[in-house]
Amino acid sequence: MTGVSRRGFLRGASAAAGGLFALQYSNAQAQTSNDVNYDSVEDLFRQKWSWDKVVHGTHGTNCTGNCAFNVYVKNGVVWREEQQGGYQASTEDTPDYGPRGCQKGLRHHKYMYGPQRILYPMKRVGERGEGKWERITWEQATSEIADKFIDAATEYGVDAISCGIGTQMVVKRSGFASVMRFGTATGIQVPESFAGVGDLPVGVQATLGQNIIGDAMGAVFKARTILIWMVNPAVTRIPDAHFFWEAKYNGSKVIAISPEFTPTAMHANRWVNPHAGTDTALCMSMIHTILTDGTYKPDYIKEQTDLPFLIRKDNGKFLRGTDMANVPDVENAENLFYIWDTVANAAAPAAGTGKNYSGGHGFGKEGWLDMGETDPALEGSFTVATKDGDVEVTPVFAKLKERCENEYTPEMTAEITGVNPDVVRTIAREFAEAEPAMIFSGYAACKWRHGDLLQRAMLMLLSITGNLGVEGGNLQITNLGESGGVAAYVFQELGPVVRVASGSQLDYEHGNMKVLNEEVYGKELADEIDSHYEEAISKNWIPRHARVPWRMAFFTGENGANWRASGKRWRKEALGNIGTIVAVSTDMGTTQLYADYVLPVAHHYERIDFITEPRTPYVQALVEAVPPLGECVDDWTVWFRVTKAIQEKAIERGIAPIDDNFYGQVIQRDLTKVHDYFTHRGTIMTTKDCLQLLMDNTPGLPKVSFDELAAVGKMRVDGTETTVYSEKSPYNPSPTYNVENKAAYPTLTGRQQYYIDHDWFLKFDETLPAHRAPLRIEGYPLQMMMGHARHGIHSMWRDDSLMVALQRGEPDIYVSVEDAEERGVTDGELIKVFNTAGHFIAQAHVSSSMPPGMTFMYHGWDPQMFIGQQNFGAVTSTAGLVKPTILVGDYGHLKYSAISWTNNLTQKDFTMDFEKYVEEPEARAG
Amino acid sequence: MSNRQVAMVIDLNKCIGCQTCTSACKSLWTDEEGQEYMLWNNVETKPGPGYPKNWEEDGGGWKNGTLVKGKLPQKGNHGEEIPLNHEAVYFEGTEQRLQQTKEMGYGANWDEDTSSGVYPNNYHFYLPRLCNHCTKPACLEACPVKAIYKREQDGIVLVDQDKCRGLRQCNRACPYDKVYFNFVTRKSQKCIFCFPRVEQGVPPACARQCPGRLRFVGFMEDEGGPIDLLVNKWKVALPLHPEYGTVPNVFYVPPMLPNTFDENGNFSDDPRIPMDYLRYLFGEGVEAALQTMQTEMEKKQRREESELMDLLIAKDWKAMFNIPDVQVVPPEGAPSQETQPL
Repeated sequence: MTGVSRRGFLRGASAAAGGLFALQYSNAQAQTSNDVNYDSVEDLFRQKWSWDKVVHGTHGTNCTGNCAFNVYVKNGVVWREEQQGGYQASTEDTPDYGPRGCQKGLRHHKYMYGPQRILYPMKRVGERGEGKWERITWEQATSEIADKFIDAATEYGVDAISCGIGTQMVVKRSGFASVMRFGTATGIQVPESFAGVGDLPVGVQATLGQNIIGDAMGAVFKARTILIWMVNPAVTRIPDAHFFWEAKYNGSKVIAISPEFTPTAMHANRWVNPHAGTDTALCMSMIHTILTDGTYKPDYIKEQTDLPFLIRKDNGKFLRGTDMANVPDVENAENLFYIWDTVANAAAPAAGTGKNYSGGHGFGKEGWLDMGETDPALEGSFTVATKDGDVEVTPVFAKLKERCENEYTPEMTAEITGVNPDVVRTIAREFAEAEPAMIFSGYAACKWRHGDLLQRAMLMLLSITGNLGVEGGNLQITNLGESGGVAAYVFQELGPVVRVASGSQLDYEHGNMKVLNEEVYGKELADEIDSHYEEAISKNWIPRHARVPWRMAFFTGENGANWRASGKRWRKEALGNIGTIVAVSTDMGTTQLYADYVLPVAHHYERIDFITEPRTPYVQALVEAVPPLGECVDDWTVWFRVTKAIQEKAIERGIAPIDDNFYGQVIQRDLTKVHDYFTHRGTIMTTKDCLQLLMDNTPGLPKVSFDELAAVGKMRVDGTETTVYSEKSPYNPSPTYNVENKAAYPTLTGRQQYYIDHDWFLKFDETLPAHRAPLRIEGYPLQMMMGHARHGIHSMWRDDSLMVALQRGEPDIYVSVEDAEERGVTDGELIKVFNTAGHFIAQAHVSSSMPPGMTFMYHGWDPQMFIGQQNFGAVTSTAGLVKPTILVGDYGHLKYSAISWTNNLTQKDFTMDFEKYVEEPEARAG
Repeated sequence: MSNRQVAMVIDLNKCIGCQTCTSACKSLWTDEEGQEYMLWNNVETKPGPGYPKNWEEDGGGWKNGTLVKGKLPQKGNHGEEIPLNHEAVYFEGTEQRLQQTKEMGYGANWDEDTSSGVYPNNYHFYLPRLCNHCTKPACLEACPVKAIYKREQDGIVLVDQDKCRGLRQCNRACPYDKVYFNFVTRKSQKCIFCFPRVEQGVPPACARQCPGRLRFVGFMEDEGGPIDLLVNKWKVALPLHPEYGTVPNVFYVPPMLPNTFDENGNFSDDPRIPMDYLRYLFGEGVEAALQTMQTEMEKKQRREESELMDLLIAKDWKAMFNIPDVQVVPPEGAPSQETQPL
């Protein structure tokens, strides 16, 4: 057999047999080593690395990775995927972004054909959660769903219906836009998935009046000291983690802060290990060191922050224009604040203040911070003549210094954090000396009840050292893409009338979490929370979320029953009482299992879309490499069909417009026009039409057609205008604009605002950042921390057979050597984790990386994967831990918004215990 | 044909244990029946029993110029990919718990982040492993039917799937337990250093697809190339268990963890990983290698130049791969099967 003909034979045989090792050579082919034709033997392998077609695509899951992939198609199926590579750097002096990717992305060719895939519309025939279905047609499904939708909307109002957008929905632009348009056209509740999953940086909002201030990842390389704090990028930012170690090689000090020895700590220059939940105390003691050393930057502080603003000593409030004997004639004297001018030796209005709070962006307010000839005092005590007589005043800075000296010397905080005072001083000095210094954080702070205080302290640390708003500095939490295009599609004709709902408020009300608070944390705290909650509603600071019963819920791209805090209770009290549940999803999970209808969605390689999350300066396409399996369609098409059915049924049933009280404004929701609205009256009829509209209206994107983008997979974006302000540097988030242009921040004071003099902040002593001990449950000694998983993105890929095999085959929880020994537990044994809220069973993973008194579990394991079908949500008793100060709604930039100022659904403030698991017959059955 | 040796340097200070290399390799080469337990490339937590379990105790390699007949790796010590009962739970309603259809018992990454020592001075790190494509391959020497050969053009060691009789002597001989037996085809199989890719200028999947940018690929003979600089000039890249005697062509930059805390909880100057353990893994050169790394990193902290640090930073990703006609963007079309090997 000649080489050529043999190769020809193999090619045909391979296609037929589907694989290399299915082929067997006959023994007659065996030769001696002297005359063997290795070429032909090796051709087997060469043949295997071959394909019919390459398509550029990616995974539209919410991992912030944005990794450009080549998707290789062979014999009509996706054979494998490989990163495209070919990225540039943000700037020439940083490493480039290649190649990105992770192990989950590289498994998607298997997962998309996996046994968890939903292929057809299904209707429940057994009990909820039983897993018994009948396959129905799209027509039957949408028709029945439409009838139930109209029934609920007409009987109870449109807000009796919700459409949850899961993490599968938030980055894919047409997927996200389609749900938001559905919500705009109907008025149903659209629970956000930001605070609702405990990710909203409310402390950043409180300080800067905005909460998205991250950079492209290359910025990490520019920092000379990096605190990696409340994040574990070696696990959660796999495509980008290299920037940290490359920065270390480049001479930066990389300091990882975490109670347990994380995979990130492994590669840091220094690891600092405060007790869980004591980070604010650590941060305040670092601030103390810098203030004591005198290494802060007074010029920056005086101009950019409210630290020189005068506080009345008698009542702890800012000195305002309205306090004065002669109220100055300004637009708004209530918002006129004062500094002590050391030049004139007198109180003087702070530059730019005295106007109505206008919010919005800092752009267009250049020069407001210009202090002119004044030079504000940072310390001292002064007397000012007010309408109440002489009043003692002092700058915020002096109060901060006093608070640090009284409560946060490194010696004092050592008692709280367990961190040696010299360690604090060392890292504080390395931070202050670096030019620039960065705090790289994640969402973990948001998952503590008092995480806002930590974020305020972190920003203060950056601010006093002049590191906020400079290249290579800043608090890095997240960066989101420009969404102008989404607004163009979603708000067209109707305006911004989408009812975005606060997830934590929905859960608090529908889950009746006050009762849980009482059971777990006691009546005093439960009452304190609930009375403030009700007061906030009565003052119109926050909307009531459970005005009417929850009659119908769509869960789209979401596995909410998987991850919710207090999940056990939520599934019973909230999910269990919903009239009709519709899951719109690619894959099965607990939420889908409990649905009444399941609609099948095309997976990442079976659909088109694009993503603009500027961790990298690229826009990224999802491209249809193969047709969708079964009867799957993309998200936009799902809502096209659902709205069409609702409109047809509404016309057929003669449904009159429904009066909807939308935050005090009555809007008529006309269900006979829902589909017309969805399609922009017949002008947007395909997913690609929608995508083109979105692309055309998104600032910063290249002006190309979707097909042109899809042909190459990714395109460079030279800067978007909200999160990264300047084209000249891709690293500068919007505070850089404020610093460089002396522009007002969108806060009440127009400054980076570290002092909040609202009555509730005074009552809870949160005017300045302060440490609050994490909540514990009496009798349960162990803290349980959780985090994003290495081997899954939320619940996606968490049940992939290889990912499971690369762990321990079942859910495991890391416990310390000491805690395991004390309880007679050895590595690999099953343990029962329990507290007053409930229990779950998992495998003990004993490791000396864990401090005694703390356990750690990666999230995303579905309840179905546990004995008794209870996951960590059984003991995570925190869903009712609303924080009163975050309810405040009458203070400039502190005003309810489900996407910027609302309570997080927190997940950290609880304790538990564990014991060796002894098999219980009922649990086995369950 | 030239006698050249392709090689890889793996920087353990950048490895985050994400298993992307494992996943990349598996989807390309070991996704067939009989290969469920095989990971030609794996990543294991060290210190730890690894994959297969306790492979360092299985013997093999060379001792005083004589081949050592090691133990046969037991299949159960690898763990394997096992399907889950999705259909029964989600679509048939016959079972409630979603789980593997049989107990795994052990897995390739069972001891992920299982640390050694005592908190807070505990220590562990990730060790990616593949066939070392040794200069003195014990597997080749051990094969009674001469089914294993080392390619002249690049030194890649291959098992001829035609000639292999499944006698498993190579499984015993490899001290790294990196030759696997396919219980379906009854042949031994192992890492091929992605030679079909290397022939086309595309680096091996585990290296090119590594998001941590920690694997350098090149030829030993290329003076001034990254392999030469890291292995020969700077001497920071060391073979794993050099005492096994097979002369590996995969090298590791040893890990530098943050220093320990002293008895008061202050930062100490003591290394976190005991030097004895690092010597056990990487031989006597490891202390000097770590000292060089530290010295060069301190230069960068003083904002001075360092060729070594710049090399390891690898600002230009493509520069990590020094093979002929290198292309980091894979070809759009399937590579021609008629292309002659290099």
